[in-house]
Amino acid sequence: MIGNDIVDLEQAATDSNWKRPRFLDKVFTQQEQDYIFSAEDPHQRVWLLWSMKEAAYKVQVQQFGTRFFNPKRLECKLLSIKKGLVSIGDDTYFTRSEITKDYIYTIAKQDKAQKVNTSMFKTEYPAYKTQSDTLKHNFLKAISKKEGVAFETLDIKKTAAGVPQVFSNALKLSTSFSLTHCGRFSGFAY
Amino acid sequence: MTKEELIAKLKTIVQPYIQDEDAFKNLNENTDFINDLKINSANLVDVILDVEDEFDIRIENDDMEKMISVKAAMDLVNEKLAAT
Repeated sequence: MIGNDIVDLEQAATDSNWKRPRFLDKVFTQQEQDYIFSAEDPHQRVWLLWSMKEAAYKVQVQQFGTRFFNPKRLECKLLSIKKGLVSIGDDTYFTRSEITKDYIYTIAKQDKAQKVNTSMFKTEYPAYKTQSDTLKHNFLKAISKKEGVAFETLDIKKTAAGVPQVFSNALKLSTSFSLTHCGRFSGFAY
Repeated sequence: MTKEELIAKLKTIVQPYIQDEDAFKNLNENTDFINDLKINSANLVDVILDVEDEFDIRIENDDMEKMISVKAAMDLVNEKLAAT
């Protein structure tokens, strides 16, 4: 199973102030706070760790179907600048991130050897609805090609836990996938 | 504090972070912060910090875990206020 998460660094700087009192303590373990304060660019490091947690959380929810909000329970370990591990209790997920000055894009996998197809892109009109529709459209185009099913038959529905699933007519496809968008950027992975 | 007053306070708190106006207008006990209001998860941390400030309470991470809907937030605030 797979999860992904993108952070638009400019958008994150506008939307969130991780320097506000108690923010870091709510979200990051001591080890993670050490990663942040030893980084050359703490802002980038905050959002790298955040995207790792989000991507891993998306795998966890697909696996167990239970939502929760407790970012600190997902513990990050950095193996290199791009690679990391995220642990939630007994489960560990493997992450790989792409870090640029504009965005951070992380993919988390349950199985380290799993092959991943992914695409990320910039949207001109970052209104929530437009971006979400463009993302779904692009993802379904890719799935249509991969599965050899007509685009018109495809649809995305969310489970009660908010996990998106793809259907061709009434038939659920087994493909594990993940969608993400933030600010100017969107991405899908399967 | 009545139920209506509490909902009104929560509504003011979440307003800066919502991304779905219709769901916000119809905000009620069953509204989900993420699925309905489309609050991004980093801003959910802000919602929790704002709730702490507004009601002068502290929410531990284990309590925070459930805080994904208006109903859950109301229960938690009531519980914390009753304990003070």
